[in-house]
Amino acid sequence: MAHLLEVRDLKKHFASHSGFFAGSEKNTVRAVDGVSFTVDQGETLGLVGESGSGKSTLVRTLLYLDLPTSGEVYFDGQLLTKKETVWLRRRAQIVFQDPYTSLPPRMRVWEIIAEPLLIHHLADRHSVSERVSQLLEDVGLQTMIADKYPHQLSGGMRQRVGIAKALSVQPALVVADESVSALDASVQSQILNLFKDLQERHNLTYIFVSHDLGVVKYMSHRIAVMYLGEIVELATTEELYAHPLSPYTRALLSAVPSIHRDGRERIRLEGDPPDPANPPSGCKFHPRCAIAHKLCSQEAPQLKEWLPGRYVACHFALDSNHTARGGEVSGV
Amino acid sequence: MYGARNSLFIGLFAVLIASVLGLVAGLSAGFSRGWWDSVLMRFGDIQLAFPFILLAITILGVISDRNSVHLILVIGIPTWIIYARVVRSRVMVERDKDYILGAKAIGASDMRLMGKYILPSLWTAVLVIAMLDFGFVILLEATLSFLGFGLTPPTPSWGTILAEGKRNILIAPWLAVLPGLAIMATVLAINLTADGIADVLDPKLKISIFRRLPQRELANGSLKDPEGKDARSIQPEPTDPNDNVEPPLLKVRDLSVEFPLEDKVVKAVRHVSFDVYRGRTLGIVGESGSGKSVTASSIIQLIEPPGRVTGGEILFEGQDLTRISNNDMSQLRGTKIGMIYQNPTSSLNPVLSIGSQMVETIRIHLKSSPAEARDIASRALLKVGIGNPHAILSKYPFQLSGGMNQRVMIALAMLTQPDLLIADEPSSALDVTTQAVVLERLRDITREHQTSLILITHDFALVAEFADEILVMYAGQVCESGPIRSVIDEVKHPYTKALLQSVPRAEIESGTRLQTIPGELPDPAALPPGCPFADRCVSVMDICRLVNPSQVRVGSHHNVACHLWSSNKNEEKIRWHIS
Repeated sequence: MAHLLEVRDLKKHFASHSGFFAGSEKNTVRAVDGVSFTVDQGETLGLVGESGSGKSTLVRTLLYLDLPTSGEVYFDGQLLTKKETVWLRRRAQIVFQDPYTSLPPRMRVWEIIAEPLLIHHLADRHSVSERVSQLLEDVGLQTMIADKYPHQLSGGMRQRVGIAKALSVQPALVVADESVSALDASVQSQILNLFKDLQERHNLTYIFVSHDLGVVKYMSHRIAVMYLGEIVELATTEELYAHPLSPYTRALLSAVPSIHRDGRERIRLEGDPPDPANPPSGCKFHPRCAIAHKLCSQEAPQLKEWLPGRYVACHFALDSNHTARGGEVSGV
Repeated sequence: MYGARNSLFIGLFAVLIASVLGLVAGLSAGFSRGWWDSVLMRFGDIQLAFPFILLAITILGVISDRNSVHLILVIGIPTWIIYARVVRSRVMVERDKDYILGAKAIGASDMRLMGKYILPSLWTAVLVIAMLDFGFVILLEATLSFLGFGLTPPTPSWGTILAEGKRNILIAPWLAVLPGLAIMATVLAINLTADGIADVLDPKLKISIFRRLPQRELANGSLKDPEGKDARSIQPEPTDPNDNVEPPLLKVRDLSVEFPLEDKVVKAVRHVSFDVYRGRTLGIVGESGSGKSVTASSIIQLIEPPGRVTGGEILFEGQDLTRISNNDMSQLRGTKIGMIYQNPTSSLNPVLSIGSQMVETIRIHLKSSPAEARDIASRALLKVGIGNPHAILSKYPFQLSGGMNQRVMIALAMLTQPDLLIADEPSSALDVTTQAVVLERLRDITREHQTSLILITHDFALVAEFADEILVMYAGQVCESGPIRSVIDEVKHPYTKALLQSVPRAEIESGTRLQTIPGELPDPAALPPGCPFADRCVSVMDICRLVNPSQVRVGSHHNVACHLWSSNKNEEKIRWHIS
């Protein structure tokens, strides 16, 4: 079966401007640096990483909201180009993080939700209001809020409006870019369950971006872990949490505070994530890695399938679990 | 009469031309940002550098028969650049906002983006400039006419009348007064109107008073806390007679904080009591509006105005902090009570290096020489896990990562070895991996010095790992408190229970559905008379909507404010009545 979305070696580099003499290679920030993955119809791919890992840039680039520096994106088997993006806007939508800035402040709720319908001629003046009420009900809002402005609504309600707007074109793919991180704990769970219900109801495909490992675990079928613009590990949710193969994933998981920490040792990651404009040589994680060898500082590991369905970018992906095999790989 | 008509007519059309030109130029320049932007703005710069009045005089001087149209064009066109610059900078700000990206994501064309999304946010700015410009243009027209370059006589305008009056000033001095007054009154009126329009046009200005308070500080705001007494009623002493003979370092009793606003009073903290023991860590957990941060800032007496403590006491080593002088309080803040905030980068002074900030603090409090102070500073940095303190001391806050800055903040706060450290969301701005390291350092250093720590956070798990006692707050009240294991393992309050079950955790098996708490946080302006959680509670009873529950002891040091556990005779009686 063809994948709904296929991303091949996608790169997004930003030149940081330093006055008139900009353009030297040195100041290029490789926000997304050669990312490949696929997403199937009906599944949720979680995208997790710390700030600066490039997860937000990645989803904006693959939706062609930012043009990629290089690489290809296939949606429904069709290669995306910068010329034709209008059809993509009907098939793929995005819900942003901050419900306070992501809705146009001077439009009423019904206008916001009707916009996509009018732009894509999916409804005429008469049927629009009916469709808008239907969408409001779909996301659990009362239709009487249609006349309000965003600033008159609570954070949770605004995020529901954002979701209704995204759903109005009946997309196949919805990207949630940190869509619940600005919400309070008691409201966050409502929105997460809403996302799940809508997925079932409309057979939606999600890319769920978050820095919160709990949220990503709850939502995703498969998870990609990003570090400094690259995917370092990709696996099904169960396997990733039960047996993380990349040393970075292990450190990340052990850092999450837990209500019942029963003497579990935490892996302390010393140092901060490096400057993305000036990343370390070889594997970008090697200066902080507990199992780094000489090879790691010289050669960047490629993301490859070490076990069926388990992609890891680490020279020693399997050794860290089976130390006996250590010499075999480091002898490369 | 005719003079006024001509002056106002010229002014109006000059402004119209300038604003339309400026709006189009500014919008297109700001939106495209490319070469078009550069060309337009450089052209504008050149024009601004040129003496404008001289140019106007030259052009008008050449024309022998000057009518209104000439004046309108000469006065109007050159001012486009003022509009264009303001509009352009507004557009640049707006176009980077998420909602514009959101509009792009639904496939809105560039024209639609400019016309329907960005343009509405420009009206206010353009109208205000237009009104100010209107005044300016009228003055300019008067000046030109006065100098003899206005409308060709006998067509009148205020300026020409003024000029006329000057010529006859010896014979009839009052002639110049009237047009002068007319010009002054008009310009003044226009400027006042401009201010008024700016206020009316912004739909968000109406709630600005409300928004000025940081959201998380805003809690409970009902005008009628019907039975203040009920909420407070019996405060069981959290101290158990059997253990903890040592008196608490900090004893907060019945603390209430209010924020009087224009038409209502927001009761941010209501009758909160707790103890902090020496060397122990108290975690305060709550969502936005729970009053957790206000509680913290009232301990150090730094509540944002107009907020104020309206009741209760804060006993620190037996001294009531709500009653001591400002001087004594700032003395305490520097030495015995330390504070760490959420955003380390903005809490540090941006124009001083880390070294000079630390050295200054050390010299003030420890009265040591600069060399000694530097030595103490680098040792302090080593303690919070900064391996190369000398390199860091010479850096500025913006050159360091958030995690590094927060460690510097901890080192700074611990310099004077305070007895109490208050950390308000110390790790919320940090990444998971950095958060773990920073909090472990914080725990180690406070343990070493026997410093008591109040850890304020929205993250239950963080408190579970790093605190000894916990205080769960909701809508300005404490709903459950006690030793951390006791509260987690024998959770009593429905809110605490729901909170524990509704947060997705990495350790929970996937496939299970999250519990949700229905509804939203209570509106601070319309708080229910009973328990603030009643509307969202699964175990709600009739009494919950009528009477705010008081604290009940349910275990050793474990207290809960919930009618399910209430043993209060009065409340039981009411419950009996209802059922």
